[in-house]
Amino acid sequence: MTMAITSSPVLMQLAGLAKRFGDQHALSDISFTVNAGEVLGLIGPNGAGKTTLMQAIAGTLPTDAGHILWRGIPLPLPRRRQFLFYLPDGVRPWEDQYVARVTELFAAIYGRSQAVLAQTIHSLGLAPVLRKRVVELSKGYARRLLLALALLTPQPLLLMDEPFDGFDLRQTRDIMNVLREVAGAGRTLVLAIHQLRDAARVCDRFVLLAEGRVRGVGTLAQLRAQAGTPASDLEDVFLALT
Amino acid sequence: MRSPETAVVHRAPMRPLLGKELREVASGRALWTMLLILCPLVGYSFFQAVSLYDEASAAAAESPVLGSGLSPLDGILVPTFGGLYLAATLLFPFVAIRTLGREKESGALALLVQLPYRIPGLIVAKMTAIFAGWLAAVLCAASALVVWLAMGGHLYLPETLDLVSGHVLYGLLVGAIALFSASISDSAATAAIITLAFTIGSWVLDFALVGQPGMLGWISQLSLTQTLRPFEQGLLSAGLLLGMLAAICGFAALAAVWLHPGVRVSTKMARSAVCVSIAAAVIGLSTQVGRSVDVTEDRRNSFPAADQLALAELREPLIITVHLAPEDPRYVDLRRNVLAKLERAMPHVTIRLATSGQSMVGSASEDAYGEVEYTYDGRSDKSRSTSHREILPLIYALAGRPIPEPIPGQDYPGYPLIANASPALAWFLGGLPLLIVIAWWRSCRPPYVALHLTKDGGPA
Repeated sequence: MTMAITSSPVLMQLAGLAKRFGDQHALSDISFTVNAGEVLGLIGPNGAGKTTLMQAIAGTLPTDAGHILWRGIPLPLPRRRQFLFYLPDGVRPWEDQYVARVTELFAAIYGRSQAVLAQTIHSLGLAPVLRKRVVELSKGYARRLLLALALLTPQPLLLMDEPFDGFDLRQTRDIMNVLREVAGAGRTLVLAIHQLRDAARVCDRFVLLAEGRVRGVGTLAQLRAQAGTPASDLEDVFLALT
Repeated sequence: MRSPETAVVHRAPMRPLLGKELREVASGRALWTMLLILCPLVGYSFFQAVSLYDEASAAAAESPVLGSGLSPLDGILVPTFGGLYLAATLLFPFVAIRTLGREKESGALALLVQLPYRIPGLIVAKMTAIFAGWLAAVLCAASALVVWLAMGGHLYLPETLDLVSGHVLYGLLVGAIALFSASISDSAATAAIITLAFTIGSWVLDFALVGQPGMLGWISQLSLTQTLRPFEQGLLSAGLLLGMLAAICGFAALAAVWLHPGVRVSTKMARSAVCVSIAAAVIGLSTQVGRSVDVTEDRRNSFPAADQLALAELREPLIITVHLAPEDPRYVDLRRNVLAKLERAMPHVTIRLATSGQSMVGSASEDAYGEVEYTYDGRSDKSRSTSHREILPLIYALAGRPIPEPIPGQDYPGYPLIANASPALAWFLGGLPLLIVIAWWRSCRPPYVALHLTKDGGPA
């Protein structure tokens, strides 16, 4: 299968994704598009289905219905890892390994140069903990390590689950800048965020999720128009639409 | 910062993945704990074996006939490696489970399956790490052989290598089962229970079902422990090797089927059925491969050399009809002393059990029960003996061949050794554990980090 790169802004399209756990509908008829180079926020309260949706997109969770298109062409499970990379939340990968080893592993696997590895480590402030084991990291540093791994991957689309969890205000702003740089270089980011203020600061567009359903898709202005609250912020829009 | 859209990785080198898997095994406590426990297990087994061998050798000094019965394979190797068998059965599953169990528990599996490797490649890397871990254990046990040689003991390389390779394969089989268990379990604890159900369940099969007639006897053949017996008897069996490799590959393939969390359970079940069918077919085929080689120095699994040469020249099919129940001790004797040796010595031997499917009690009342009929080249004769000294002349008579003259100088001399086993304890309770602790400490050291990684990075 050859992926044609077209001038269309739509990079990935989700059509009718659904997932059920027993009688509970975790995802119902999820459909939206992801545009190339944008930062798209999946917004919703805890239990809205953000993580389930990300896992379903990444292919680490089987879905009951729906499909994913990449540049208009179906993207089967075995090929998803070639085009997108999913960074889960709450993961401490390879806990007994040293941070330096884990970052070098990803750099070696994806053929990243030492310069790229050094820049990634520097941009995320990981240098002080390179000789620590992953299990010894604080929550913030563990999150930085995960972000470093994601930045070392070459896939054009990054899915990140709660990328600012564990950071204080200043750190969150720094990480937002890093992610903005990444998006500016042409990578597309899909971020699952439950803090609406963080989402409003970093995302270009939003997908509002509640109870496993899409309640709104668009820029803040478009969502305001949809909610009929022209002067409101993202929190008010979210409350109005959900 | 990165190339958009076109920067797609299809394949990646295996070396970083292999390095990561090896570090995963080495960085855990399970491997080192197993190695440290292995020291007294193997050490005490070796100490006891040498002590008993020493006593028997002292007796043999007064009676040379006794000396010819002293074989290091039975006296030293098998009991010493018994400690390794215990480690493979009870401890090694925890080492093998770790290669996948920790990733499942920590969520790192979600990252692993997104790396640019095919699932079989991931499993091969994990099996390689499991093999490396087991090799470390085998080397610890094999150090007993070096101590034995240093004591002045004798080793016959083919039988030694055969036994060691049997234990290597057994460990790999346990490792593959552990990997499969980890792939279907959410936690390492559950995986351990499943694996121990296989390994300790084999003991139950051994104790409860071996020697039972019919289906129960067949089920007892599924015991993992049974796979080691031919190696301990000095036999290198092509069928057993094929069967063990098929089982190892089968469990590894099942682990690959169940590894990816994004595949539906129904799909996994269907793929598992295919794997099990293929593995069962190969294992079934392996039971039909009768080729085995006697690698012992004392040729315990063969007739005397002159008979071996004479029997090899008998090209017509020999058909043996046995009127004994399989669980009858006489059949067990006949099988071990004559039939198995005939199968190895002659090119065409067919053995039929006339009482197949019947119990010993039901068959024993028949007049013909206990008879064994030998048919060669249209002639036949019967015997109730289980000794080759009576049966071989009968076969030569049927073939119209003279009884061959014994070849002089072929007798096994035996290798008695009067030795003090105490120094071995110093090695297994002192030197070897110390080396293991040093290796453990070295594996725990932080890696060297290049200076440019700890300072500001250069341009991307």
